[in-house]
Amino acid sequence: MKVSIPWLKRFVNFNHSASDLADILTMLGFESEVVTDFSSLKNIVVGEVESAKKHPNADKLKFCIVNDGEKLHEVICGAPNVASGQKIVFAKVGAVLPGDFKIGKAKIRGIESNGMICSERELGISEEHDGIMVLDSSLENGTNIADIFGPIYDAIDIDITPDKAFALSHRGIAREIAAKLNKKLKNPLNSKRVIPDAKKKVKVVLDKKGGCPRYIAGIVRGVKVGPSPQWLLDYLKSAGQKSINNLVDISNFMLLEIGQPTHIFDLDKLSKEAIEVKWAKKGEKFEALDDETYTLDSDHLVITDSVNTVALAGIIGGKDSAVSEKTTNVLIESAYFDPIVIRKGSKKLNLLSEASRRFERGADPAAANDAFYMIVRLMQEIAGGELSSIVTDECTFDLTPRKIVLSNKKLSQYAGFNISANKVENILSGLHIDCKSRGEGLISMDIADILSDTNKLQSMRIRTEFRPFMRNIVDHLYQIDKITRKDASSYRHRIRFGSKETLVELANTLKKQHSQDLPSEFIVKSTGKKNTNNRDTQKWVCTIPSFRGDLVNESDLIEEVLRCYGYDNIDASYSFSSQMQYVEDEERPISKLKQYLSSVGFQQCYNNSLQEKSQIKHFGVKPVSVMNPSSDKMNALRTSLHQGLLNTLDFNYKNGAQNVLIYEQGTVFKNNGKKLEDIEQKNAFSCLVHGDFTAPNVHFNPIEGNFFLLKGLAEGIFNNLLKIKIKFIRESHPYCDTFYHIIDSKKSVVGSVGIINKELLDKMDISYKTDVCIMDIDTYRFKECSGYNIKAEDIILYPMVNRDLNFILDHDIELAEVCTAMKNVNQALLKEVIPVDIFESKELKNKKSVLFKLSFQDPKKTLEDNQVNSIITEIISLISKKFDAKLRDQ
Amino acid sequence: MDKTINDVKTSFHSDLKSCKTADDLEQVRIKYLGRKGKLTELFNQFASLSNKEKPKYGKTLNILKSDLNSSYNDKLNSLGIGISEAKDSKDFSLPGYALPKGNIHPLEHVTDEIKSIFKSIGFSVAYGPEIDDDYHNFEALNVPKHHPARDMQDTFFIDPNTVLRTHTSNVQIHLMENQDPPLRHICCGRVFRNEAVSYKSFCLFHQVEGLVINESSSFAEMKGTLEYFAKEMFGKDTKMRFRPSYFPFTEPSAEVDIWNEKLNQWMEILGCGMVNPNVLENVGYDSERYQGFAFGMGIERIAMIKYGIRDIRLFYQNDKRFLEQF
Repeated sequence: MKVSIPWLKRFVNFNHSASDLADILTMLGFESEVVTDFSSLKNIVVGEVESAKKHPNADKLKFCIVNDGEKLHEVICGAPNVASGQKIVFAKVGAVLPGDFKIGKAKIRGIESNGMICSERELGISEEHDGIMVLDSSLENGTNIADIFGPIYDAIDIDITPDKAFALSHRGIAREIAAKLNKKLKNPLNSKRVIPDAKKKVKVVLDKKGGCPRYIAGIVRGVKVGPSPQWLLDYLKSAGQKSINNLVDISNFMLLEIGQPTHIFDLDKLSKEAIEVKWAKKGEKFEALDDETYTLDSDHLVITDSVNTVALAGIIGGKDSAVSEKTTNVLIESAYFDPIVIRKGSKKLNLLSEASRRFERGADPAAANDAFYMIVRLMQEIAGGELSSIVTDECTFDLTPRKIVLSNKKLSQYAGFNISANKVENILSGLHIDCKSRGEGLISMDIADILSDTNKLQSMRIRTEFRPFMRNIVDHLYQIDKITRKDASSYRHRIRFGSKETLVELANTLKKQHSQDLPSEFIVKSTGKKNTNNRDTQKWVCTIPSFRGDLVNESDLIEEVLRCYGYDNIDASYSFSSQMQYVEDEERPISKLKQYLSSVGFQQCYNNSLQEKSQIKHFGVKPVSVMNPSSDKMNALRTSLHQGLLNTLDFNYKNGAQNVLIYEQGTVFKNNGKKLEDIEQKNAFSCLVHGDFTAPNVHFNPIEGNFFLLKGLAEGIFNNLLKIKIKFIRESHPYCDTFYHIIDSKKSVVGSVGIINKELLDKMDISYKTDVCIMDIDTYRFKECSGYNIKAEDIILYPMVNRDLNFILDHDIELAEVCTAMKNVNQALLKEVIPVDIFESKELKNKKSVLFKLSFQDPKKTLEDNQVNSIITEIISLISKKFDAKLRDQ
Repeated sequence: MDKTINDVKTSFHSDLKSCKTADDLEQVRIKYLGRKGKLTELFNQFASLSNKEKPKYGKTLNILKSDLNSSYNDKLNSLGIGISEAKDSKDFSLPGYALPKGNIHPLEHVTDEIKSIFKSIGFSVAYGPEIDDDYHNFEALNVPKHHPARDMQDTFFIDPNTVLRTHTSNVQIHLMENQDPPLRHICCGRVFRNEAVSYKSFCLFHQVEGLVINESSSFAEMKGTLEYFAKEMFGKDTKMRFRPSYFPFTEPSAEVDIWNEKLNQWMEILGCGMVNPNVLENVGYDSERYQGFAFGMGIERIAMIKYGIRDIRLFYQNDKRFLEQF
């Protein structure tokens, strides 16, 4: 909201600069920025155009001589309205305009220009840029522009949070400044009743279903529509509001002055001098002031003249009933509409207005009356009309002020320190909250006696006696486990908000169910009338002004006190109030996994969870769609991390990086049905490799980043990080031709490795040059398996005996099978069998020659040669038979 | 056997002592350490020992072998022979092995750092669902339907009652529903906002939020906790300010800025406040008895301040040239 500083000064006296004021407001909870601060603009003065001739080399430019009171300047100006004799705003060479726009000498179409004649936009006053500003001819040349414009146009911009409806006006902001600076808030406009000389009254009918709790209407006749007076124009302009005509300007002025939206109808365009507030007919068409036609719904509240819809309540007026230049008689509306009705209505049409913004946040129901009479008085003054109907004020809103009790104990408990009672009272009264201090005493209550007698229950004061009494009972029952937490919570809610009848009913229920569970007596705090200085028992009964609809609970008042006290004045406390606890973080093992992968050369990725549905479908799982996507490229949630990793490969490949080793952890989603419970949200972990693992260098040839890299990593991860043995079991997969499950010793799947097939890569249009391999790790199993499961084993001191065996085998035989077969011959002594060399050649045809390294060790003694030899013999005969193999070199 | 071993040892050392040239030394090597040298001879004798004697002499022989070898190498070096040979064959100015460079994502770095700061002062870490119902994301947090505060967070809907969480505060609600006070937790994870993608906003970001509930945690304690955090995170001279703000789930609420010396301006890093009693009541806590504070911060924002990153989209593009820098 753009706030005019001169306008604020109507309400409160202060001399702060725009930027100081912005700081004060920011620290009060109103984030502010300076829009225009003329005192910061230098070298900008009143000038006079002594002559303005056509630029010799350009039709649309003028060559001007400007007198700045000291000397003459040659200036090129492009504005169509520049003319000799005008007083204008002249920015000299060296001036800096808002937006850090520096004025220097410049050659324009061959002629040097020394300075600039400014428009309103260039000075930050408004968006007006059709021509230069023409000033009052009585101004003296050379006068500093800050002295003229500062008092009229200085402004700041405030970001007002949705809870602070009371601050959506100059009076609202001024009230905050006055409170902070300890100044009085002035009342510049007279809102006293105007007594009309009339007997007729506008008939106002409000819909019984609510929506409009207050509607004030009255008629002013004999107005003359025309331009607004200068003071009104200045205020509106400085707050960023365009002037329309005097009537509309008055209404807009009132909105910005005290935050009350009003509407002015052309009386002669209404069918009857009557107002009916009711719900729109579904599908009803409504042509609004903004020249748009809206289709309404049955929950839109409308204003009708009992025949036609003339306004969309609290949002926008109708075109047909709008004020025009010919208007002479008007009907003034000043109302209070229900925030939810206005919000729903404006959201549905996607139609926000200054009025709806205030109503949906909660306007001041009492201000409707003030605004009405202020408008009547302004119309008399400016447009010359007279109030000529009895004023109708239909009001179903309970205007009795709300009362909230603030306890000093609670305040200091919340704050963590003590604020003096005087300070609290000062702050509250500065905010126009009336507070009366009260003490408190302790009384004992005989429970059985009270509960047995409904009259006694009825006679207790609800806030000070009955509620504390009931709360004690509920707390007691919960503490001794007679009622569940859920019940206790719902009872407390009833106690907090319920009427006396609700409380009596609850007391009887609890008595019936728990009479033997209750002690005989409670000591209950009760508010007395005496003042006390005891901080622990001091309370204030606060009367909330009508414009602070946001203050409902004690905590709302605590916020007000601390906010005005200043958060920066609160000393931080560095001692903890909590008890010690075990620090849990289930993700701890996964961060080890990430460290491991990154330390061997992988890069961690964060990909978007929102992906394109047409691409997700390649992954074969039904995705969860977004109802309101921001683009078609992000209209559903990923079902697999592979998608993001493949796109990352593609992106990097196209940017020149062919060797890609990446991984990602994140949530993937699966759509199993319509309900929230049917949406599977799973934490996933995937790696992808493509290209080389190590780059070519002077020491060794590149190592391929392929399936075997991932297989080795899987072994490293599970054996080293988790100390669990894994196996690879071949499986089929929708988009991997080569695919293995990784299973642990209990046969449960802990991950997988595979090679993505070309069909998927081509369908997704991924650039690649080598195999694209992926590995998944089941993070749930990973977390389960991690922990203190390392058990140190004794080192075997007896030597290891190594033997080599070279077999010629069929090309298609899988060596893992051969190794397992060998090991099974003597699992106790044969520690390890690994293939160390594979040789294939033309002579060998469909065979391969494989060198196996066998390692033997006996944990209890040194192995004898003959023992090893007999195992070797057994292995040779088994392998030769089982795999039709031949020992080489024999 | 013992004697033989001792003899070999003594004569080796005296021979070695008298070596003056490389040739002398080579002769000693052949005599003792060569293929048919005395050491090999000893090992051959060892093979024929009984199994009972083997362990004892095996050990002695191994010690002898390493003694002979290291003494020989020392002599080799002292004659300056070893070094001059190495110089001929190796160029030590060559680059080291080109090992692959791996990285942890910058957002992960920052998350880990934030997590470890809070863990060091006794906070546990909790996680929760990214898709949740309207109740846990909004209503339980004191943001009723048709409340203007809903405009503060543009929401992606799965259906009218199911949303992509707009903050990790839903985890706080789940936590409180399942656990009685005291609570001292941070929640972290991915959140979504339906905002136009630009250099300063993306359709998702990551948050860390904190929650402390007990019978006495106060605004002053919240200030202390967050000052501790800011100093650990940004350095002990960090200048910060708390200014009043509004969040439906906290009251009083504040936003915290730190002073950026380079840019000469305040930069917002987090929001916080005392948990609104309505929120406590919604999860079944007695708001007369319990109170506490909550805070929340965007990880991207902090990472951008910390690393001087100007475009938020870089975090999700996964350009190797970007990732390699962390």
